[in-house]
Amino acid sequence: MPERTVSIASSVGLHARPASLFSQAAAKAGVPVTLTTKAGKSVNAASILGILSLGIGHGEEVTLKAEGDGADAALDSLVELLSTDLDKE
Amino acid sequence: MADTALTSLLAEDSIRLDCTAVDRFDAVRQCGAALVAAGAVDESYVDAMIQRENTVSTFVGEGVAIPHGTLAGKESVKRDALVVLRFPEGVDWEGNAVSVCVGIAAAGGGHIALLSQLAEILLDPAKAEQLRTATSAEQVYSLLTPSDDDDD
Repeated sequence: MPERTVSIASSVGLHARPASLFSQAAAKAGVPVTLTTKAGKSVNAASILGILSLGIGHGEEVTLKAEGDGADAALDSLVELLSTDLDKE
Repeated sequence: MADTALTSLLAEDSIRLDCTAVDRFDAVRQCGAALVAAGAVDESYVDAMIQRENTVSTFVGEGVAIPHGTLAGKESVKRDALVVLRFPEGVDWEGNAVSVCVGIAAAGGGHIALLSQLAEILLDPAKAEQLRTATSAEQVYSLLTPSDDDDD
């Protein structure tokens, strides 16, 4: 199963705004995406509540996994999103 | 748990269970007004909340939205606080029905932990349902009280 590890670039961590942008993108990915923290907790990446419940801070590493057609492309674009400071604006 | 208890940030008169709003921005403004009334933020924070809502919806699922300000609005936060506004008739939130708004004022990084606690509660469909249908402040308090001793 393709997977990528990335650290959260958003200066405030993966909270409300970055978390909603990320989960919306994951929901549109066309394949189910799982996000796992270093501590080993996994959630559905398309669930904003799931993402928020993890309380992921800036610089923390997370692993994204996806399966199926287009999984690699989906992961690439989601990784790019997490590597961007989504709060900058 | 070192996290700040959600309930310590929520004053009893910041729980309003019978609100109506014409649209989501009206609902966000009411949350802002409740935070101003609680002495947690300056008026300018309300604009920051509207701005935030304009950029990305604060709908999180389970009929709940969590209006809060942008980073730029942080200077108008006097102290961290929550307000809970219930809209029994529902508010259209870009096609989703919202019946509870949890308005958030947070100055530091503390709100990641705050949101995480809140999300944990809402991930439990039974608790989310109880929050949507709460008719007393006591019910809201008991829902937001950490249940570390849950035998799950």
